[in-house]
Amino acid sequence: MDIEKVKRVAKVARLELTDEELKKFAQDLEDILNNFSVLDEAPGLTEYDFNPVPVNDVLREDQVGQEFDPAMLRAMMDTYEDYVRGPKLS
Amino acid sequence: MSVSIDDARLRAINDKYRIFNQLIDRESMEADDSSSFTFSAKDNLCTREFQARAGSKILEGYRPPFDATPVRKLREAGGLLLGKTNMDEFGFGTFSTNSGFDIPLNPFDTGRACGGSSGGAAAAAALIEGHVALGVSTGGSISAPASFCGVFGLTPTYGRVSRYGLIDYGNSLDKVGLLSRSMGDIKMFLPVISGSDPKDPTSCTQPRIQISQRKIKRLALPKEALANISPEVESTFRYALEKMSLELGIAVHEVSMPSLRFAMPAYYILATTEASTNLARYCGMRFGVPEKDVSQHFNDFFSGVRSECFGQEAKRRILLGTFCRMVGFRDKYYLKSLAVRQLITKEYRSVFDEHDLIVTPTMPFVAPKFDEIAKMRPLEMYSADFLTIPPNLTGLPHLSAPCGYVGPMPVGMQFVAPHWDESGLISMGEEWERVFQLKTPEVMQ
Repeated sequence: MDIEKVKRVAKVARLELTDEELKKFAQDLEDILNNFSVLDEAPGLTEYDFNPVPVNDVLREDQVGQEFDPAMLRAMMDTYEDYVRGPKLS
Repeated sequence: MSVSIDDARLRAINDKYRIFNQLIDRESMEADDSSSFTFSAKDNLCTREFQARAGSKILEGYRPPFDATPVRKLREAGGLLLGKTNMDEFGFGTFSTNSGFDIPLNPFDTGRACGGSSGGAAAAAALIEGHVALGVSTGGSISAPASFCGVFGLTPTYGRVSRYGLIDYGNSLDKVGLLSRSMGDIKMFLPVISGSDPKDPTSCTQPRIQISQRKIKRLALPKEALANISPEVESTFRYALEKMSLELGIAVHEVSMPSLRFAMPAYYILATTEASTNLARYCGMRFGVPEKDVSQHFNDFFSGVRSECFGQEAKRRILLGTFCRMVGFRDKYYLKSLAVRQLITKEYRSVFDEHDLIVTPTMPFVAPKFDEIAKMRPLEMYSADFLTIPPNLTGLPHLSAPCGYVGPMPVGMQFVAPHWDESGLISMGEEWERVFQLKTPEVMQ
């Protein structure tokens, strides 16, 4: 895998990598993905599930409640009045 | 009955072996007079009194206001929580060397690794008498350290134990299980932590757990499992099979499971794609280390703390998982891996039609030395999991049991059972325990 491709993937993953990391990860991913090409030999199947055993949704009626004290959240997070402070979107 | 370890001894053991990254304080330990056993929680399980950092610097300072369900259940059963055990960051590793905190040392040789990612849990089980350790397995993180540290490690069926309060690695793979020196403890505490929990929908379709002793008669040994095994592990394993045959009357039949060769890549693709999305939440706002400078653009704000706090293996897996989900690769990697999981599950089922359990060695070698691990390429480390991955990928319950020693170092064998048949594993483990001479590390003698 070339370094430019690793840079693109890192950007999507919100990681800033040093030149040394980019070089190392490019080699590692190349090595790993080459090995994984054995999957091309697996029979093509259309059947799949997202869990290894069947799982059903569990639904309940909405209930108004408060599990945690908002003061605790306010103390743990960067807040301004009743808002959580975050970075700029644009 | 009260707990059998005193505070000074616990701290001395921890100083030597670096099992825990946080320990119960002396006052709580000495004030306790009602607990009947001690237990520990892997660092990725939430507990009220300790930080939950999952071995990662990015979660430094995260103190959950609640207990994970398995922790709560063990407390309710009379357990005293001793502390949080060291692990690979988010479970990303085979040796517990990828930790943002302490690296646990093997109870039988401190120059060697404990295995991972539940390395601290396995060391606690080996070194603390009467102790039961909560571990978590995604691709072998209970079996591998159980094998290297010479203890029993049971990974239940996917969905058997609630994951409420577990810090996610791979949602379709994570399972909470137990490690102990004694099969009796695993038999006693597995039903305690099992059961349906509305807070984790994956736990709500399980049949009720029923543990009853039954005679195990026929085991299958996939011939593919013996490729790339070190000669000393193979001879120790074969000696154990002979002992089972002679002393327990258990027959072992060689079978072929050709699809097992697809398990390692399919597992790493699913695990890293799931991990790369799960770890998106660690961005300097909600959990752990906060990014302070809100004047930055959000891309820089999120990237800064992630780049600084994630370790090398976490970054490698995030990159791999992100790549496998990108446009053009999703079908080739992710969907193909989901299909391969079905293929391997079918192959397991056909073997279980004629056999009670499947048996293999657990790991291809004994616990390696730290300098040997430092020289391994990432792919070599991933490949070391080739025996523990197949049952984890397919959600099948499995048990690693000590089966012999190479010099002082333990060797493990792994039994795999059909979905929901933890009872078969416990029957097998108890029978084996009856005829096997388990060694305990010198510190306890």
